[in-house]
Amino acid sequence: MQTPAPFGYERATSVDGAIASLQRLGPEARIIAGGHSLLPMMKLRLANPEHLIDINDLVELSYIREQDGEIRIGALTRHVALLKSELLARHFPVFADAETVIADPVVRNRGTIGGSLCQADAAEDLSAVCTAVKAKVVIRGAAGERVVGMEDFHVGPYQTAVGAGDVLTEVRLPLRPGSGSAHEKVERRAGDWAIAAASAAVWIAAGRITDVGIGLSAVGLTTIHLTRAEDLLRGQAPSEDLFAEAGAIAAADCSPGADGRGPIDYKRHLVGVLTHRALRRAAARAASQEA
Amino acid sequence: MSTTRTRTPLVRGRVGELMPRRDAEPKVTGAFAYSSDLEAEGMLFAVTVRSPHPHARIAAIDTAAAVATAGVHAVLTHADVPGRKTVGMHRADQPVLVVDVVRYQGEPVVIVAADDLETARRAAVLVVVTYEVLEPVADPERGEVLRDVRIRHGDQSLGADVVVSGSYEVGMQDQAFLGPESGLAIPDGDGGVDLHVATQWLHLDQEQICAALDLPPAKVRVHLAGVGGAFGGREDVSMQIHACLLALRTGRPVKMVYTREESFFGHVHRHPAWMRYEHGATPEGDLVYVRAEILLDGGAYASSSPAVVSNAACFAAGPYRVQRATIDARVVMTNNPPCGAMRGFGAVQVAVAHEAQMDLLAAALGIDPVDLRVRNALKTGDRMITGQVIDGPAPVRELLEGLRAMPLPLERGSLRADLRELPGGVANTTHGEGVRRGVGYAIGFKNMGFAEGFDDYSTARVRVSLVNGEPLVEVHTAACEVGQGLVTVLEQIARTELGFEHVVVLPADTTVGSAGSSSASRQTWMTGGAVKAACEAVRERLHELAADRSVEETVEHHHRPTFPLDPETGQGDAQVALCFAAHRAVCDVDTDLGLVRVVEIATTQDVGRIMNPAQCEGQIQGGIAQGLGLALMEEIKTENGLVRNPNFTDYLIPTILDMPPVRLAISETPHPDAPYGLNGVGEPPTIASTPAIAAALRAATGRPVTRVPVRPDDLI
Ligand SMILES: Cc1cc2nc3c(=O)[nH]c(=O)nc-3n(C[C@H](O)[C@H](O)[C@H](O)COP(=O)(O)OP(=O)(O)OC[C@H]3O[C@@H](n4cnc5c(N)ncnc54)[C@H](O)[C@@H]3O)c2cc1C
Repeated sequence: MQTPAPFGYERATSVDGAIASLQRLGPEARIIAGGHSLLPMMKLRLANPEHLIDINDLVELSYIREQDGEIRIGALTRHVALLKSELLARHFPVFADAETVIADPVVRNRGTIGGSLCQADAAEDLSAVCTAVKAKVVIRGAAGERVVGMEDFHVGPYQTAVGAGDVLTEVRLPLRPGSGSAHEKVERRAGDWAIAAASAAVWIAAGRITDVGIGLSAVGLTTIHLTRAEDLLRGQAPSEDLFAEAGAIAAADCSPGADGRGPIDYKRHLVGVLTHRALRRAAARAASQEA
Repeated sequence: MSTTRTRTPLVRGRVGELMPRRDAEPKVTGAFAYSSDLEAEGMLFAVTVRSPHPHARIAAIDTAAAVATAGVHAVLTHADVPGRKTVGMHRADQPVLVVDVVRYQGEPVVIVAADDLETARRAAVLVVVTYEVLEPVADPERGEVLRDVRIRHGDQSLGADVVVSGSYEVGMQDQAFLGPESGLAIPDGDGGVDLHVATQWLHLDQEQICAALDLPPAKVRVHLAGVGGAFGGREDVSMQIHACLLALRTGRPVKMVYTREESFFGHVHRHPAWMRYEHGATPEGDLVYVRAEILLDGGAYASSSPAVVSNAACFAAGPYRVQRATIDARVVMTNNPPCGAMRGFGAVQVAVAHEAQMDLLAAALGIDPVDLRVRNALKTGDRMITGQVIDGPAPVRELLEGLRAMPLPLERGSLRADLRELPGGVANTTHGEGVRRGVGYAIGFKNMGFAEGFDDYSTARVRVSLVNGEPLVEVHTAACEVGQGLVTVLEQIARTELGFEHVVVLPADTTVGSAGSSSASRQTWMTGGAVKAACEAVRERLHELAADRSVEETVEHHHRPTFPLDPETGQGDAQVALCFAAHRAVCDVDTDLGLVRVVEIATTQDVGRIMNPAQCEGQIQGGIAQGLGLALMEEIKTENGLVRNPNFTDYLIPTILDMPPVRLAISETPHPDAPYGLNGVGEPPTIASTPAIAAALRAATGRPVTRVPVRPDDLI
């Protein structure tokens, strides 16, 4: 199939209007943002929403700014804006690392951070990035707004804390000193989804890792949050041996499946090397920020 | 060694000049009409119902619901094929529409024509085919042997002091042309039909359509439509007969365009191969013997498998002198996708093995791999393993020496290198950590033209007339422009021979004699030769040219005869001419992750004569890209007869980010038998580029790398 099934369509003029429409139309209604995940699924008839509520006119959801000790990113911010943001590059270079290799310029001109997180495809890069930098997301529904940490965001494959009548409005990245971050991804060919990817963020003070976040893409049913490896690293002085050990834990703690992108052993091996390298690069960046 | 002839021509655009192709701009701007862009007043749209099973018996076909759908004009099965119910290039073994047994996944069973595409598709879904599913034969070791080529050359008891052996595997590559199978059939209202189609061989299509439709050739006129790539995949018929059947049945023009997924089932692929080799040499490095067992999976139908296996056998030892050859090559039939012609045609698979063997042997002997190749290089006057004495050019040594003398790319500099130049590219995986560089050499050869006694020819009609007092040259052939630039070259030839500025190459169709196939690197030689000869004949009569009198000549150009291989010994003068190219690959490998960046491919190729420098280089660059694809990513994956990746998301083709700069040196050793001394250009670049990359990967990683496409996990 190359064409979607018939559907109703409306353009939202405000976030509250979109939420009201979601409530009114029920569970068969869906938000459409960049459409680069939803439309392919509709063409393949994997998704058959009866109504689409288009939020692309909501320019108030498109921004990257610093406020109250956080970087705040509107849900409708496109990949290309994340790629080019100097503010993000300064504080969280992991975004530019990831955005350089998310799909291709055509997809990046349209796809959004909100859509990426809500799609919650395990192979998607930004969920791992947000996991690593310990982002919080703002979800608004009929009952008001709530703030959810990434650790509580994924509730199952393709399932998030964003409910049927909710809109994700903002992503918040707490700013803490001494940070460094990096994303590393292995893909079969430029523009492809990951075979495996690792995102790492570290916060270093006085030669010690005060906090660390690691997220993995494409090696489990959802984005993987490497808590065991994080526990190992916290409080330690950064070193090659330590990062190698964290890589070994990562290889053990992921759960990839075998598919056209490669066998399980190879994917585990990749995770080990990528985690090690991402930590090394994140720590080096933290060090250069300190200087 | 690269030469471009310079002359001061009277008219521009002669042989050897860089003349821009006329289709370049429309193709780049999107104005070019491909076969899928054709339209006719009142046309219907047709779709194909295909078997989802690789092996099944059809118990019943119920078309009633589809026929009853509003807007549907015809729903046809094998029962509606009026003539011969089978087609095939070498043997007519493939049903036009499945009669009783399905032999591969995607085989056409029913065809439907309707007012519009959506209606046709919906009606197709309503066709009920009842299958009794059968167990597919998916393991080629269990396949039925279609042809077996034995070569027994030299004293079979010869042994050697130094022996190396290995097993090698080549995956199933696809031509992956971007223009899907498509065309438009228009009934003439008088029982005949005009088919506009993207193809490689108009007259072979015509012959097969006539047989299936039970019509004489005069009733079936085939016209070349815009071809979006071919590479061998358009030699066998796909939708040609189906569209004509539906057009004649409905009395309406019928358009048929395969979807991308269908296209993967709509044409033959490159044969996957399993090869066991043993090489023996003297301690000094002289090759004594080559033994090889080669198995090709031909899939469900014969297609051109008998010729592919012959090539695999004839070129199995590579372009080297060898005292004894013992080759057993067989192609088998299974329920896997049918395989047939693809650029390089049998020579590609064996080059992966014979070049890996030469490197193994060099290592065993402690000799430099290029020195070993040079030492054993075939030259004019030597015998091939088929016993044929090479009387044309065989510049193997020259190509290797030239390649070795070419400068190597710069070493990777600091860790600040542009990420795009590193394995993993901008994915940030390495800034130099774990990266090791390897360099590999390979050389390959194959035949120009068809082999084993096929009386091949091409026909050209050239006419000169006066238009407003100015001479106009019209060149008419049935030769297919498949993107290689043939039309430009024919124009250059006519201008060179007749000296007139204004040359028009008419659209190719079957109203002139056959030109044979645009394949086997043969079309410039064969049709170029025919056009040259026709121009010469016209030139003799130019004195007759007058305002009211044109001069026209039609000439057939045949190459010299070839002969079958002896069935017991595989000896015989089977080839017309040989083409050679050598490649050097420089690869960086992230040895921790198994990721590859091809840094550069250098190549030396002898083309006999550069007819048009830009087109010649284009063929070489494109062929190398296809060779790189086979080395690193291009593979149709099957599982028990089912294709797992019939799409461009999972069938990976190299992009500009994967393709390195190509350093090339083209040499011109005139071939005495050929027009202008030219030689085939299109296929050699695909042959040794793949093994050169494999060799570079072995050098970088120390891993054996015995299979292409190489998988990242083979490199760690
Ligand atoms: C060819 C191709 C390659 C790609 N490669 C990659 C890759 O390598 N890495 C990668 O990470 N991604 C990749 N993507 C996905 C891309 O990043 C998408 O843009 C992204 O996943 C979805 O964003 P979107 O805005 O297009 O979402 P949409 O498709 O519009 O929506 C996706 C889902 O999110 C919901 N949604 C969207 N916005 C909101 C919101 N504000 N509140 C609540 N629900 C919402 C929708 O209802 C829908 O269910 C690729 C996509 C394509 C087409």
